[in-house]
Amino acid sequence: MFKRPSSRKRKPRHQIFLNLVPIIDTMVVLIGFLLFTMAFLVLVSMDSPFPTINPQDIAKKLLEKPLQLTVTLRESEVEIWSPFQKITPKKIPNIMPGQPDIKSIHNTLVEVKQKFPAENKIVLVPFAGTNYETIIAVMDGMRLLEKIDPVFFAKNPRNGIDEQIRFLFPEVIFGNLLGDS
Amino acid sequence: MPFYRSIRQRRSQKKLSYFFDLQLTSMLDIFIVVLIFLLKIYAVSTNSFSTVNGIKLPYSFSLDTPPDTLQVIITPEGLTFENNRIIDFIQTASEAGSSNSVYTFKTSDLDEGGRRIVALYDALLKAKEKSELLRLKSKARDEKGKPLPFEGFLAIQADKSVRYDIIRKIMYTAATADFKTFRFLALKHEE
Repeated sequence: MFKRPSSRKRKPRHQIFLNLVPIIDTMVVLIGFLLFTMAFLVLVSMDSPFPTINPQDIAKKLLEKPLQLTVTLRESEVEIWSPFQKITPKKIPNIMPGQPDIKSIHNTLVEVKQKFPAENKIVLVPFAGTNYETIIAVMDGMRLLEKIDPVFFAKNPRNGIDEQIRFLFPEVIFGNLLGDS
Repeated sequence: MPFYRSIRQRRSQKKLSYFFDLQLTSMLDIFIVVLIFLLKIYAVSTNSFSTVNGIKLPYSFSLDTPPDTLQVIITPEGLTFENNRIIDFIQTASEAGSSNSVYTFKTSDLDEGGRRIVALYDALLKAKEKSELLRLKSKARDEKGKPLPFEGFLAIQADKSVRYDIIRKIMYTAATADFKTFRFLALKHEE
C-alpha cells in the first residue's frame, strides 16, 4: 500500500531577486568614463618637411641626377615628371577644373614605383588656387598604397634584408614654397 | 454619520505594498547595449588639438596619429595660433558678397614681398623661445648632457576650402621662425 500523501501544506517558494543595483552603478560609471575619454573626431596627420637649399646638395644632385619625382597640379591638368628626365612625363587631365584625377595619379605613381622601388621622396607643386581638401587627397594618393596595388620590396639598409614597402612615396615635399605661382 | 463613514472608507482603501521593487532588468539591458556600442566605436586620442567653430576639415586615409605640437588653424575668415586669433582675412571690394569670394591677407599683414605673415612670425618666435626655455629648465637631456633640441613641428589645421596660396605663406613664415616640419591635419576617413 502506498503511503498517504502528507496533509501539510507546502510552503510557498521564495522568489529570488538578483540585486542589480551595484551592476547598474558600475555600468553608469563605465559609460560615463567611456563618453568622457572618447575622441569623437579622430585626427590623422601627414608630415612634410620644409625644403632646404644647400649649395653642396645641389652640386651633389647635379652629379647624381636623382629621380626627383615631381607632381605639378594645374587648373586643368596634373603633370608627373622628373627634372632629370628619369621618367617619361605624363599629363593627366583633371576631372573638373581644379579637381585632379586622384586614381589616375595614383596608378601612374605605382608604375613609377615599380621602376624605382627604393625611392621615397616626391615633390608636390600645387597652383595657388588649389584648396586644402585637394592637397590632402593628392597627398593621400601619393603616399599610401592600396590593397589592390602590387606588392613592393626594398632592401632595408640596416640589415640588408628585403622588406615589404608599406607606403608609395611617403616623403612629400612642397616644391614651390618660395615661388609666386 | 459622515465622520464614521469616512474612516470606514479610508480603511477599506487598498494600501500599496510596503516593498516596492523597481524593475531594473530592462534598464540593465539598455546599459549593456550602450556599453557594447561605445566599446565598439571607442577611439582614444593622445593629443589635445582644439578646433574652432565652423571649420570643415577634409578627410584622409592616413593612419598616422599626430602627437601634440603647436598648431595653426586656418578658417576661410582668419588665422588662429594656439587658440588666439591673430589674423582676420579680408574680402576684396569687387568680390565682397559674392558666393565665390576669396578671403586674403591685408597688405599690412605681410612683409618680405608678401611672403611672410608678420603677426604669425612674432607669435611663432615667442612660442619657440618659450619652448626652448622649457627645454633648458627640463631635466631631460641628450647623450652629451645638453638640453633637447627644438624640434620645430607645426600642425596645420585648415578648412577644406582654404587655398594653397594662404597655406604656402604660413609654411614660409613658419620656416623662417625655425619650424621646419609641417603636420597637416585631417579627419580620419572610416573605411
